Amino acid sequence: MVALHRPALPASRTFATQWPARLLLVAAISLLVAIAVLKVNQFSRATSTSYEINALTAQRADKLAQNHELEAEVARLSSLARVDIEARTRLRMEPATRKLYIGINQPVPDRQSLPTRFLPPDHPKAALSEGPLWKHLLDVIPFF
Amino acid sequence: MFGHRGRMHTRLLTLAAVFLLGGAGVTARVAYVQLADTAHYKAEAHDEHFGQQEIRAARGAILDRNGYPLATTVDAYDIFINRPDWQNLDDARKAAAFIAPLIGVQQPEDLVDEVRKDDKGLYLAYAGLDFNKGDLLHDADAPGLRVVQTTKRFYPEGDLASPLLGFVGRDHVGLTGIEKDFDTELGGTPGTVYFERDSIGNRLALGAERVGQKPEPGGDIRLTIDRYIQRLVEGEMQTQVVRTGALGGSIIVMDPKTGAVLAMTSSPEFKLSELNLNDPNQALFRNRAVTDVYEPGSVFKTLTASMAVDLGLVTPESTYNDTGAAYVGGATIRNWDYSTNGTTSVTQLLQRSLNTGAVWLSGLIGKDQFYSYLQKFGIGEATHVGLGGEPDGLLRTPDNPAWTDVDLATNAFGQGVGATPLQVITAISAMANGGKLMRPYVVQQMDTPEGKRDFSPVVVRQVVSEQTAATVADMMNRVVEGVAGNLAAIKGYHVAGKTGTTTGATLADGTVHNGNVASFIGFAPLDDPKMIVLIKLDFREDKLGGQVSAPVFKDIAPSILAYLGVRPDGSQLVTGDH
Repeated sequence: MVALHRPALPASRTFATQWPARLLLVAAISLLVAIAVLKVNQFSRATSTSYEINALTAQRADKLAQNHELEAEVARLSSLARVDIEARTRLRMEPATRKLYIGINQPVPDRQSLPTRFLPPDHPKAALSEGPLWKHLLDVIPFF
Repeated sequence: MFGHRGRMHTRLLTLAAVFLLGGAGVTARVAYVQLADTAHYKAEAHDEHFGQQEIRAARGAILDRNGYPLATTVDAYDIFINRPDWQNLDDARKAAAFIAPLIGVQQPEDLVDEVRKDDKGLYLAYAGLDFNKGDLLHDADAPGLRVVQTTKRFYPEGDLASPLLGFVGRDHVGLTGIEKDFDTELGGTPGTVYFERDSIGNRLALGAERVGQKPEPGGDIRLTIDRYIQRLVEGEMQTQVVRTGALGGSIIVMDPKTGAVLAMTSSPEFKLSELNLNDPNQALFRNRAVTDVYEPGSVFKTLTASMAVDLGLVTPESTYNDTGAAYVGGATIRNWDYSTNGTTSVTQLLQRSLNTGAVWLSGLIGKDQFYSYLQKFGIGEATHVGLGGEPDGLLRTPDNPAWTDVDLATNAFGQGVGATPLQVITAISAMANGGKLMRPYVVQQMDTPEGKRDFSPVVVRQVVSEQTAATVADMMNRVVEGVAGNLAAIKGYHVAGKTGTTTGATLADGTVHNGNVASFIGFAPLDDPKMIVLIKLDFREDKLGGQVSAPVFKDIAPSILAYLGVRPDGSQLVTGDH
């Protein structure tokens, strides 16, 4: 009787040699898929952000335009022609025929409010920020 | 056989060499294009793919001295209609029904007819439509509708100071007035936007867009003009034109201490709200208070008197014998009213505005001193106010061969000499400013992206002494308050003034009429002048400055003084915190 001796294949070797390769392959594919997904996500986000920026830019332009409209409206409402019409029609006022001068010891009232960009140069807020620091310091010293 | 194979081999080698050389050539060319001359080809490709469009910078505002805008810029829309899209009548009618009411067209059918007159190109339906209305159209989906965002000039005070402000063209470039003279500062720097375009240059709807250079908005210009005073004098000018039948004229209000012009108007003038660039009378676009010369007449006698006083030749009480006529170089010069006044003082000379007295003074002064003083007063030289079109004026001096002694005599009472209203008020302001001649100015501040620039008052020179200026001012006060019934006198304020009347009214179109130029110049209050006013009215007939122009001063001066916070004297105050 002849015994056929065939050495058994080392199961562990097959597993050991093939599994890491498959794992590596799977990992590589997963990595590629992940990168692709990330890239798509990135592009998608960039596109979305770009769209949002465009929308916000348009919104900003719209708000600026509305702001200009409001500034123009303030100017229109404070125009002398309108004040004159309002005085004559709504308040039924007429030009003075006799002028009376009354002396009062009161400070001059504040100017009518204007949009900031139209504020006159002698406006207190504007004056404070102008001039070198040492000048402001000198102003603090009494009797100087 | 070998020979045949050998030939084959040679042919193959030749073919290979040809391909090799060709390939090498292509490779070399590619390398040259890609590496050596990259920038050039990149730019060409960019130009091919991208179009560029200028972005107009927002134009700055023109403000009055307190910051109220006289001209500013607001967003607007230009409304176009693509004609080919309206060839379908149903579509056109549907779109017109929506668009017409928003652009102020009464009948939509009129708009349809107008657009369908041609079947190509764009039709400009409305230029500069209000932002809110344009916004409605912008969001609409009407066939053929093209809405382009733009800006337009807005004048909150209406037609106020039209010739001074001027206007801009369709391209937003200043064409006249402040808009033109300060176009660089107001206009800003346009930006550039690059956009992707197709092979025939049309913009791609969803193509890339990049802003190359951001537009730099224009700066704001703050004038010395006060809107209240400006409106007051413009209203008064219109009233006088109606009341007196004047052909027109000019009024200038100035702060004599600084030279700041508070108001400036001319009549007739164009209206910004009714601007018509096709109007043949383009002369109306000029700011004639600055550009047009006239014979100042007797208001010049104040200058002549000041020279004589300054040289110590006379005092207000010095006298001469007025025989009613003066004889100079073979010419006879008479008083305006042909009067003979006998012994007359210098003050009376001014009160009665005697030509013979002015001739007498000019004889005392002498031609060299007289013209030297006139030039010191700025006569014959532009004031350099900073506005375009300002002439030097007309002054014939002794170094001119055509000059004669008659010139000296007539110049002494303001005839034979040409000056602008601005030159006259500037010269006589010296009497209200301690003898100092100020440079007039209308721009007090420019606020541009480069920074703020303030314009301070400039003393040109001391023309006469402070004492002389006070003496002449006092004599001018006697002219107004020393003559009963003077029409320029106002209650509660001491006024100094002088009338002037000459023949030859020049109209806006340059034609000269035989009528009179009636003027009055006055300042108040006498002890500390806050304003000086020149009123010049042109007439077709004979009118006197004292009759028609002096009352204008009386009408407007109290309002201006009260507005400037100048208290009247005690007699006019109702309650006594004074």
